[in-house]
Amino acid sequence: MHVALLLGLVFFSILAILLRDLLKAAICLAVASIVLAVVLFRMNAPYVGVFEISVVAGLITVLFISTIALTRGEEDVKESKTPVVIFPIFFVIFVIVDFVIMGRLLGKIGALPGAREMGSFGHVLWNQRTFDLVGQIGVIFAGVFAVLALFRKRNNHE
Amino acid sequence: MNELWFLNMAFVAILVGLGIYCLLTMKNLIKLLIGIEVIAKGITLALIATGFGKNNPLVAQSLAISFIVVEVSVVATALAIIINIYRHTKSLDIRKLTKLRG
Repeated sequence: MHVALLLGLVFFSILAILLRDLLKAAICLAVASIVLAVVLFRMNAPYVGVFEISVVAGLITVLFISTIALTRGEEDVKESKTPVVIFPIFFVIFVIVDFVIMGRLLGKIGALPGAREMGSFGHVLWNQRTFDLVGQIGVIFAGVFAVLALFRKRNNHE
Repeated sequence: MNELWFLNMAFVAILVGLGIYCLLTMKNLIKLLIGIEVIAKGITLALIATGFGKNNPLVAQSLAISFIVVEVSVVATALAIIINIYRHTKSLDIRKLTKLRG
């Protein structure tokens, strides 16, 4: 089941990259996000799963679709066909190399100590990672002011 | 547990590879942003899979939430830049940006 979900995630990501219609590509990206959220739920990460569905599959898809609607019309970008033709060869070689390298690395990487965590998610988020939240607020404000600055600059020119 | 972590990391590498392929080969600005999004999905999966495999799910979740917030901020700013570029050049083709060369 887990492997099927991961394969579905890769499949929809490939569709999002290779489809020529941008609207279909954005929708495939949203479906990939939903599949990823199911994977996260299965790995005991419900909070990130909820974030993934609401923010990435919801908000980012809305942003993408509104941008596509705002920029559509004049002309389609002429993509060369070479990337699509080469893709299967690239993909097969990459997957083989990937599994060989990952197989060798298995057991050699000691990422994060394995001590069992205590407490709840709220305790960890609010008490142990408090400065992450400060950083998040800073990043959100930076994004908001960047978008405001970009659109205000355009109005000044007119 | 290690086997599952290995499997997840192999799929993470595939997702990141797909995103880099998209960034290297596509010419449409929105497609490039979709490539960045695919890479971001791989990173989220890597954070949670490592937290799950190494018994640190709570810290991994808080890191992943921070990463998602950064991702949204980046996407919003990049899309605003893309709209501005479209208004200037009337195209989403990245090759037409070469006339910005100094």
